[in-house]
Amino acid sequence: MNNNILEKVTAVFTKILEHDNFELSESTTTHDVDGWESSTHMMIITEIEDEFNIEFELDELWSMKNIGDLVSCIQNKIE
Amino acid sequence: MTILEQIVSSIKDNANNAFCIEDTLYTYKEFAICVSKIQRAIQKHINITDLNVGLIANNDLETYASIIALWLEGKAYVPLNPETPKNRNLNVIKQSDIHTIIDSSENTDYEQFLLINSKKLIGNDDTLTISNYSEDNLAYIFFTSGTTGNPKGVQITHKNLNYFMQAFEDLKYPIESSDRCLQMFDLTFDLSVVSYLAPLLKGACIYTLGSNNIKYLEVLKVMTRHRLTFSLMVPSVLHSLRPYFSKIHFENLKYSMFCGEALHLDITEAWSKCVPNAIIANVYGPTECTIYCTNYTYNPNGFNKSHNGILSIGKEMTTTETIIVDFENNPLPNNHLGELCLSGPQLTRGYWKNDDINKKAFFNVTINNEQKRFYKTGDLCKKDTEGDITYLGRIDFQAKVQGYRVELSEIEFHVKKILSELNVVAIIFENKIGNNEIALAIESPKFKTKKFLDELRTILPDYMIPSKIAFFLKLPLNVNGKINRNEMIKIIKEKYE
Repeated sequence: MNNNILEKVTAVFTKILEHDNFELSESTTTHDVDGWESSTHMMIITEIEDEFNIEFELDELWSMKNIGDLVSCIQNKIE
Repeated sequence: MTILEQIVSSIKDNANNAFCIEDTLYTYKEFAICVSKIQRAIQKHINITDLNVGLIANNDLETYASIIALWLEGKAYVPLNPETPKNRNLNVIKQSDIHTIIDSSENTDYEQFLLINSKKLIGNDDTLTISNYSEDNLAYIFFTSGTTGNPKGVQITHKNLNYFMQAFEDLKYPIESSDRCLQMFDLTFDLSVVSYLAPLLKGACIYTLGSNNIKYLEVLKVMTRHRLTFSLMVPSVLHSLRPYFSKIHFENLKYSMFCGEALHLDITEAWSKCVPNAIIANVYGPTECTIYCTNYTYNPNGFNKSHNGILSIGKEMTTTETIIVDFENNPLPNNHLGELCLSGPQLTRGYWKNDDINKKAFFNVTINNEQKRFYKTGDLCKKDTEGDITYLGRIDFQAKVQGYRVELSEIEFHVKKILSELNVVAIIFENKIGNNEIALAIESPKFKTKKFLDELRTILPDYMIPSKIAFFLKLPLNVNGKINRNEMIKIIKEKYE
């Protein structure tokens, strides 16, 4: 997993969720992070789009299962 | 015809699909077989006097079939969400005198009760018979947040449901057998009932949500992939999806209904572009008056009634009567602000075994020489001369989170038990995308909250867990020395907006 992207993603999570009681890894899902649910997820996604200057397609959004999927999707877009 | 007779006749000899669950289609014949084998298991294992049955609310054919099977046997279901902390479910089980639980899970958490594992039953028979029916039989008991730390059970009879379905028909948002309908609700939430029942009665197909953790994305996925034609959602879905509206184009959608929370006019306008062929409706109602009981049809090309940017909840439906009352329960004339009260055959007979709350929540009024029983909704409303009702807020500390009713004092009760010496206040606030969130103000120097939140999660369901925590060395007080909630909401909003 691209650590550079992961670092930026972690910063976005901390900013939106306003806490850092988590460590993101490839297999992290919504179950593992306090406050990561429907409403905050969409805020995180929009913030990531701004941060990396990318735009996700809807089917990309609902196919992501964990942080690993999110990071590789970002990587594909910025390459 | 009663709804139960309609269900039996709609299921029988129907070649359509009944359900689409996790991308698998199930025909009405498969559904009938499933109902039939569960019905036989109920006859065999559950005592005839045992009327309330716990139902583990899984997302599968067996769980939906269990509801119908219980109704055919004259029994009520009490839904239990498998994700809800077990102690809370045990509280519900105890309160509603449940001895038997129907569970389709591979491993059950409820061995201490008489269990029917609905996945393990066998049979090929698809005949369904109504073996026990009275309109006074309970169809379900749904538990909602209670102010004293205990959830309270709303009992709904078949009579209530029959009248609700009649009022739904009268709305003229017809479902046809070819329709594909969304069922996005947890089965412990009563909006799920209309979401499966209305399509079942017409032989249409019900699409449930898959297990994706981000629920609102799952709504989008199911709506897009299966080109759904009928949907009922909570407005929170729209707030979350708003950044993606430009990519949403649901041409097949004929009816797009909203319920459970305030619907804002601006987001409705934006949404109407995503659903160009749909009629948008805002319906309103507490569980106590069976699902919903007022309706406002959105006008996409002109004026809409609204207050503070919130769309009107419209007029009473055909089987409900609405009045606005003052502090002493006296009916008020039009255009006066007061508490909305509801009456009619959709109204519950009361909370399950809870006389104290029943005395407070219901009262009688004589109108035109006729005595009528009304339910006090706690919603502050105004009715105009045309009968359209505008919602202005709550008279108490009940809040809505993702459409769920939350009594803030119930959260405070449990938090105080964990943080024994501390002063705490739960507050509802609107976050920057327009969804409600719960903040918890704690009077204490800052401490790590993870352990405390983990403990709270073993007591309360997810939607009742505060998403923001603010520490105050001294909670703000008003001139009377009481905690100043408005000041606190202001401080928290400034922090999070």
